[in-house]
Amino acid sequence: MSTVTTPAPPADAARGSHGLRLDPRAKLFLLLEANLLLFFHVGTPTEAVLTALFIVPLLLAGRVRSAVRFAVVYAALLGLSLIETPTSGGWAWLAIVPMLAVGIRMLLPCLITGAYAFTTTSPGEFTAALRRIHAPEAVVIPCIVVIRFFPTLREDYRHIRDAMALRGIPSGGGSPLRHPAQSLEYIIVPLLMNANTVAQDLSVAALTKGLGNPGRHTSMADIRMTPLDWAYMALCAVPFALFLTGVWR
Amino acid sequence: MTATTPTTTAAARGFARLSVPDLITIGVFTAVYFVLVAVCTFASAIAFAGFGSILLPALCALVSGCVYMLLVARLGKFGGITVMGLVMGLFFLVSGHFLLSFLANIVFAVAADLIAALGKYRSRIGILISYVVFSYGLTGPILPLWFMKDAYVAALEAKGKDAAYIDGVFAQVNTGSFWLAMGAILVCAVIGGWFGQRMMRKHFAKAGIV
Repeated sequence: MSTVTTPAPPADAARGSHGLRLDPRAKLFLLLEANLLLFFHVGTPTEAVLTALFIVPLLLAGRVRSAVRFAVVYAALLGLSLIETPTSGGWAWLAIVPMLAVGIRMLLPCLITGAYAFTTTSPGEFTAALRRIHAPEAVVIPCIVVIRFFPTLREDYRHIRDAMALRGIPSGGGSPLRHPAQSLEYIIVPLLMNANTVAQDLSVAALTKGLGNPGRHTSMADIRMTPLDWAYMALCAVPFALFLTGVWR
Repeated sequence: MTATTPTTTAAARGFARLSVPDLITIGVFTAVYFVLVAVCTFASAIAFAGFGSILLPALCALVSGCVYMLLVARLGKFGGITVMGLVMGLFFLVSGHFLLSFLANIVFAVAADLIAALGKYRSRIGILISYVVFSYGLTGPILPLWFMKDAYVAALEAKGKDAAYIDGVFAQVNTGSFWLAMGAILVCAVIGGWFGQRMMRKHFAKAGIV
């Protein structure tokens, strides 16, 4: 159970893409801008334009299906939130529909840029970007470990389920509802026991590979900001700047 | 957990510097914590539909006590909880949550770390309180629900609807649900933390891990 499986190479989303491929730092910029949209409560036209701009890279990265899904959901929510509901009488409670629509709609830019950053960045690129923006090692190392550890966790969970089935302990379906504490205990205790072992194994392996060495670390992933990155960042900044300066809302 | 001395981590506790193995340990437990949060997200989305996200932090607090307790017991240094909150916040940010969730995670994690440090990472009550505080870090992703209500109200006012109507629709939806969510986190974190500490005594102390 304590095998440290090597994670499968990330689904070459980044490498296999053609056309536009942004630098991780440009993705971070888009993500932060999407967050700022929420923070400043930008007007609906600005929001719609920027959402379209955020969907384009997703489309160009080859994630056509999720891009189309986001576009459809956004359009539907936009439609719902523009509905005029009756202000009084028995149907006033319908106001909850546009309210929810606005709420989810405002979150969508964040979700879109997040999905883009998450699905198109390989762990190597992510690490290189973190190092490049001078994130402290106390952040970089746990981040690498988290990404690295997910596949192991999934494997372990499968083993635990098998072991439980072997002993005739129901583990799937409704059993977590019927015996919540017991299910939790039986799954999480072996998981943590193993996590503890893996932490030690990984430490040994990482120190052998020189993770604890002082100085600059080199990286296999080559990331650099191209003129395209700057251009796209500028393009996305324009509607937001126009909104903030009050030229167009 | 209080009586047994840590066997594998060196004697350095309290405000010692975090070494690379420490950081890897934090990373591993953060991954487990992250997975639990993710599972809770799906579970609550299915179980409570629309209002799932309001009760999400409470559900996570209920489930992830073991992870927290084991991390604190294994590490016993200042910084472990902080880094866990930081990394969680970073992953929230990258997976497209509101910037506020990043800040909430860090602020509550540092506070939780300081509280646990007061008890030198040994005091059972201290760690339980710090776990409760840490659990509030997960409120970040749901706080916009109340923020965006303001935005929506502003939009309604701009449309020319009167304030009384707006108040009538939204008043109890919001303050009520806010305190419900906050109270639920408190209760669930205490139960989850207590459960975690019981598991520590029952399993991990016996196995010699802590």
